[in-house]
Amino acid sequence: MLFSAILTGLVLGGTYALIAMGLTLQYGVARIMNLAYGDLIIAGSFGAMLLFTAAGINPLLALFIVVPSGFALSWLIYALMLQPLARRSPNRDRLEGDSILATFGLLFVIQGVALVLFGANYQSYSFLAVPIDVFGTTIAANRLLAFALAVLFGTGLWLLLTRTRFGTVIRAVAANPGSAPLVGINVDHVARLAFALGGGLAAAGGVVVSMYLTFSATMGVVFTMKALIVVIMGGVGNLLGALAAGLILGVVETLVSSFIDPGLTLAATYLIFLAVLVVRPQGLFGKPAR
Amino acid sequence: MLDLTNAALRYGKHLALSGVGISIANNETVVVLGANGAGKSSLLKVLAGLVRPEPGADLTFEGKAVLGRPAHDFPELGIALVPEGRGIFGDLTVAENLQLGAHPPHARPHEKRQRDLVLDLFPRLAERQSQIARTMSGGEQQMVAIGRALMSCPKLLMLDEPSLGLAPIVTSELFLALGRISATGIAMLVVEQNVKASLAIAQRGYLMEAGRITGAGTAETLRADPAVQRAFLGAVA
Ligand SMILES: Nc1ncnc2c1ncn2[C@@H]1O[C@H](COP(=O)(O)OP(=O)(O)OP(=O)(O)O)[C@@H](O)[C@H]1O
Ligand SMILES: [Mg+2]
Repeated sequence: MLFSAILTGLVLGGTYALIAMGLTLQYGVARIMNLAYGDLIIAGSFGAMLLFTAAGINPLLALFIVVPSGFALSWLIYALMLQPLARRSPNRDRLEGDSILATFGLLFVIQGVALVLFGANYQSYSFLAVPIDVFGTTIAANRLLAFALAVLFGTGLWLLLTRTRFGTVIRAVAANPGSAPLVGINVDHVARLAFALGGGLAAAGGVVVSMYLTFSATMGVVFTMKALIVVIMGGVGNLLGALAAGLILGVVETLVSSFIDPGLTLAATYLIFLAVLVVRPQGLFGKPAR
Repeated sequence: MLDLTNAALRYGKHLALSGVGISIANNETVVVLGANGAGKSSLLKVLAGLVRPEPGADLTFEGKAVLGRPAHDFPELGIALVPEGRGIFGDLTVAENLQLGAHPPHARPHEKRQRDLVLDLFPRLAERQSQIARTMSGGEQQMVAIGRALMSCPKLLMLDEPSLGLAPIVTSELFLALGRISATGIAMLVVEQNVKASLAIAQRGYLMEAGRITGAGTAETLRADPAVQRAFLGAVA
């Protein structure tokens, strides 16, 4: 029972970590606090569902359609809506404030479109819902797959950031945007790509979510909140921090809902969030403010 | 190779530069001297494209008008700035800082050659490749900053008070390195408080005061200039 709850919690936590990585990329590099982030996740879920139910396309293959679409959509959102804000912002703090307002509006646009197309009901589809035996307890195959995908995307992103030239450029802009032009880096350009990459990860998260959770058009804000909590807990821009924080959150939520009361899940979420903020305001692995 | 004429720069109401013009020839090392707040850093920022002067100014580099181009184009043109405070990527390693220096497309093919040159110039960096730049000493960080600028294969290297905050022995090592860089044929524009050492490696210099160029001459004439001696070399008038 305990082991099974922990296993379920790790799966959920893996998804949290995955979606948090996209948000931390958008915020850490482009300095956009994207309140519509969760709605892009839900859009990804609907995309996967539609491809599965209407065209019989397996969610694994759907990733190859949904993720590039999330990338492209976010690229466009940045180019059309956020870049003008970034250009006229005198500084990055101002941009942060403006981006919150702009993406708050965007949230309702994406949500509205989803409501019109799919209604407000909870949705799900059945994919690989076969039980698999793991060390004596059973878990649905789709959950294991969801976890594997989170690991895969997380590893991929980590390799991209630490082992490639472009990854180094992204980290340079995140850490020191003012110095980037001195080496010829076009900060605008990098911010747009990082934002789009974050959008691609959000869409991937959406596909993963749709494989084993029910979702609805209005649920985006929940994912935005969870991703935000994981990002702050893990330390902004810190991938390993996001991984640890995501897993912790998933496990705690599942333990609370299976052993105490499902109604207390959100309360537990905020409690650990607060505890981390009080004890380590810079996040689990964040550096103290210099 | 570089000509700036009639540059004025405003920060709000404050006029930081007015009617400033300087020129730098190929292979030349030029020093800019001036008191705190004279506008030296502002001048380098104009030359690096980081700030735009008021209309009426003109900046040409190798015959091309470059004013109004975005700052990230300047390294590709061959103009590299080591800013006041160094501006290195503190969270990244030494090797990553150097690699980023070779970001401009024209520098990519020469990355290995330039790295060898930098490590030959600053052997200390060779042992510290994987160290996080922020954890290095001030002198070592300055080496990273200069090394990073050299990675872009600059034709003109501009340095804003490179010896600031360094111990005398480190400073003299630094000026030795600057002399060697100059000997490779790179033109340099150096802003310095260390007037003696910078005049020793420069061929010419400019004096700045309250946002204007108030004097210019060869290194020898400046060294002998009573005004320079009074203001910078500690001579008693
Ligand atoms: N970003 C800014 N906003 C407002 N004023 C500025 C700004 N940067 C510089 N100034 C002002 O412009 C003037 C020239 O500054 P600048 O930094 O160019 O001087 P400097 O000669 O480099 O001085 P120092 O030797 O202290 O480095 C100063 O009066 C300074 O206060
Ligand atoms: Mg200065």
